[in-house]
Order: sequence, then structure tokens, then C-alpha cells
Amino acid sequence: METVIQLDGLAKTYGRRRGLTELTLDVQRGEIFGYLGPNGAGKSTTIRLLLDLIRPTGGTARVLGLDPRADAVALHRRLGYLAGDFVVDGRQTVRECLAFLAALRGDGAAARIPALADRLDLDLTARIHSLSKGNRQKVGLVQAFMHAPELLILDEPTSGLDPLVQRTFLELVTEARDNGQTVFMSSHIMSEVQAVADRVGILREGRLVALDRVENMRERAVRKVTLTFDAPVDPAEFDLPGVTDLAADGNVLTCRVAGSPDALVKAAARHTVTGLLSEEPDLEELFLTYYQHEGAGHVA
Amino acid sequence: MSRNVFTKTLWDARRSLLGWSVGTTLVALMYASFFPSMSGGAMADALKNLPDALKEGFHLDDLGSAAGYLGANTFGIVVPLLVLFYGASTGARAVAGDEESGQLDLLLAHPLSRTSLVLQRFGALVAGSTGIAVLVFVGLVAIRGAAELGSVSVTNLAAQCLNLALLGILFGALALCAGSVVGRRGLVFATTAAVGVLTYAANSFGAQLGLGWTRNVSPFHYYLGGSPLKNGFQWGDAGILAAASLVLVGIGLWAFNRRDINT
Repeated sequence: METVIQLDGLAKTYGRRRGLTELTLDVQRGEIFGYLGPNGAGKSTTIRLLLDLIRPTGGTARVLGLDPRADAVALHRRLGYLAGDFVVDGRQTVRECLAFLAALRGDGAAARIPALADRLDLDLTARIHSLSKGNRQKVGLVQAFMHAPELLILDEPTSGLDPLVQRTFLELVTEARDNGQTVFMSSHIMSEVQAVADRVGILREGRLVALDRVENMRERAVRKVTLTFDAPVDPAEFDLPGVTDLAADGNVLTCRVAGSPDALVKAAARHTVTGLLSEEPDLEELFLTYYQHEGAGHVA
Repeated sequence: MSRNVFTKTLWDARRSLLGWSVGTTLVALMYASFFPSMSGGAMADALKNLPDALKEGFHLDDLGSAAGYLGANTFGIVVPLLVLFYGASTGARAVAGDEESGQLDLLLAHPLSRTSLVLQRFGALVAGSTGIAVLVFVGLVAIRGAAELGSVSVTNLAAQCLNLALLGILFGALALCAGSVVGRRGLVFATTAAVGVLTYAANSFGAQLGLGWTRNVSPFHYYLGGSPLKNGFQWGDAGILAAASLVLVGIGLWAFNRRDINT
């Protein structure tokens, strides 16, 4: 495995405010990495550090084996970037804008513009200022994907996209991975990321608070379980570690289980079980649990 | 289609550039075309009673000759101030404007160094300022006969227009430099314009206020002080304007390469 993004103790302080605290993180080639956190957690700060738009106050970063600052031009040739707030001059047409950006890359990137625009249902002849936010975001997506870069860095890529285009976007991302490209994408919505991401990192107030494969997170996540018995049961019997919100209503017992349901299943096995329903774990909820403690004092 | 930042910058600014050059040229031609009606005795009589200080400040002491009139009016007041504002607004937009709007993030995420971006934007500024000066020059040459300005040679007109272009480039470089340091367009434009107006005043009135030395730091002194309309190309003055511009761009590059891009 080849490490595409290698961050070691990366830190950024704005005056007295902390933007990012000692971030250590590796992203491997061919991986879709979901970078999650609420607005202001430091996601964009991290991304702008990777692109040398801002400079770290501590630690080091290597991207595609290069130094973001010293090798900026060589590095930027090999990556595609979509800013959280994609802005270009509104007076030009979409075609004019994309052709110029492709020319800056100078590697035949323009050839893929029509196909990508077609797929995203983007009108190349429209003036940028006449476009809705979602359509403007499509321009951003085309410029990020058009040269099939080794690394895609996407900051809140789905913001403003309607559900249909969001699906197309997820296809593009998955195809990119299948093609051996690496995707680093940020979001503040778990569901957006969990569908495609291989791994997820969760950022809170400039600090990485969780980092794991999506399936592992799913295992740890809280799921709602409903058990039906042939006779009423005593809920106290099911008061096990990891089980919360216990409620018994006649023969029916409902509860929430965090992590493995093993203990609960073994306790239930002492009775006659007539029904068992376990809902898909909600990662959004897991994500939220990282923010419910010490919620005050947000970092901008 | 624009292939690089230099051509793209000029292309995006085509309407405003057209406005600046046509506007500045029309103002220049309007002032110049009044010369036949001003050169008679009436004007001299009217000015005779003005205080000497005022006459000196506005170069009104030699209105009878075409060179003196053009230097005092056409190239003395409105045209250089227009070019100053062109430079200040273009220079402020070059880095600070795109930074504030968020467009700089996208450009700099492409294979384009910060140095290259600044130099190409400066190149566009040089081209724009030169374009304005060339149009003013062409316009004045065209009306030279009709406006009785024949005593000023075409070469001397070119010499003055060269300094005009350099004046715009210098204030553009100042705004570009300031924008490269602080990245705030409104502040940069206002500061550059204020410096422009103050140095204009210093050149015109510094001596009367006992601040004669201020003339030597005023770009307007190197722009007009050598009277190119009478004496032809003033290579020393032109060289100082050009060198100062390059120094400012150099300082801007140094600062811009070292700082964070604001969001």
C-alpha cells in the first residue's frame, strides 16, 4: 500500500485560536476517505494546508510523496480540488471557465469536459452567474475530475446538489477509486459519506476524535432492537452493558444496543423468542455522540 | 480562449479596460482641444491676477505655449489622476480582489506558482496601462494639427505618454504590493488612491508649504517634472518610475509567498 496523504502532528493556530491540533493521519492509495465534522471543526483548514493555501504552525504533511509547499506546482498537477465555497468570475460561460482551467493544467484535460458535463447535466453555454448554487457546484466537480487526477480533494462536494446529481457524484467517486485514484472528501453529514467511504475520520474542534473503517464503525454503532417473547419478561433481566432505553410492553421488549448484541441475544435465549427485529445502525447517531459532550466552545 | 492567467486577466477586464482607455483619451482630447481658445491673450489676462503660488502649483505660468498648456492641463490634472485610479483599482483587484472573493484558492490549487500568478497579473496591468497611454497618444497625434499643438513634436508627446503609462504601472504595482501583503481589496484601493492624491499634492504644493523635499518622493515629479513635452524622453525619470514599480512587485512577491491565503 502506498501512502498518498501522510500527516504527522499537523497543527494550525490562527493567532490565539486553534484551527487544528496535532493531526496525525494516513490515507492510502485507492481509498475513499471521509473527513467528517461539523462546520468550523477544522476540515477546510486541513484541506487548505494540504494545498499550501495556508501554512502549518506545526507538524508535517506529505501529499503524493511531495512537500505541499516546496513542490506545490508539481503536486497540484497531480490532484483535483473542489473548494467548499467554489467561486469563479460569474461573467464568463461555463465552457470558457473550464477551458481556461484545463489550459492551466495543459495535459489534455479539456477533452473530458463534454462527457462530464453531459453526465452531470451541466449546460456549457450558460453564464456562471445565471447558474443556481447546485449547477455552480457541478462546474466545480467537472474541473476537479476532468484530468482524472491521482488524488481528489473535495471539500463538502455535495453541498447544493439535488439527490439525483448526488447519486451521479457518488458514482464518479466510486469509479475514481476503481480507477486507482484516491479520494479525500469532507462533509458534515455522515450519510453522505458512509455510502462510499472506506474509512472515516471524525474531527471535533480541531482534533481527530475517531478514525476507523466504516464497517467497524457500523459494528460499534447503536442499533434499535425489538424482541418478542411468548410471555411477558422482566426488563431488569436485560439491563446489560451496552444496552440502553430498555422498555417492556407485555411480550415485547425494545432497547438500543451499542456494539455487539451478543449479551442481549444470550439473555433472550433463556426465554422463547417469537420475533427479533434489529434495525440498520444509524451512523449519524454515532457521529453525533462525538459532539454531545463538551459541546460549548466551538472553533471557527 | 485564454490559455494563461495573463491573457485571461486582460480578457476578463476587456470591458473595463476599454472604458478606462476611451474615457481617459476623451478627457485628454477635450482638454487639448481647448488650447486654441485659451492660447490668446484673454486667458493670460485672467490668470495674471492669480497668486504666484497657485500658478506654480498648477503649472499655470506657461499656458501660452502648447507644451506648457498640455503639461498644465491635459497631462497635469485629470489624465494622470485617471491613470492613477486605473492602476490602483487594477492592482487592488490583481491579488486582494480575487482573494476576497475566494477565486484565488481555485487558481492556486492549479499548477501555478504564487510568483507566476503575481507576475502574470502585473503583466496584464502593464499591458492595460500601456494600452491607455497608447490610445491617448494616438488621439493627441490625430488632433495635433487641428488643435494647433504642432509645436509639440510627436516624439515629445510619446515621451509624455510613456511616463503616463509608467505612472499607472507604478500605482498599480503599489496596489499589487499592498494587496500581496494584506489581501483586502477595499483597504488596498483606498490606501493607494490616498497615497496617489497626497503625492500629487506634494509635487504641486510641497514647495510652497516648505516641504520641497516631498517632491522627490512623489511619482508625479518623475512623471511630469522633467517636462517631456518640451524636452523629450526623460530616461532617468522613466527609469526611476520603472525601477520603483519592480521593487514594489518584488516586495509584494516576497510577502505573498510567505503568508496564508485568507478565506
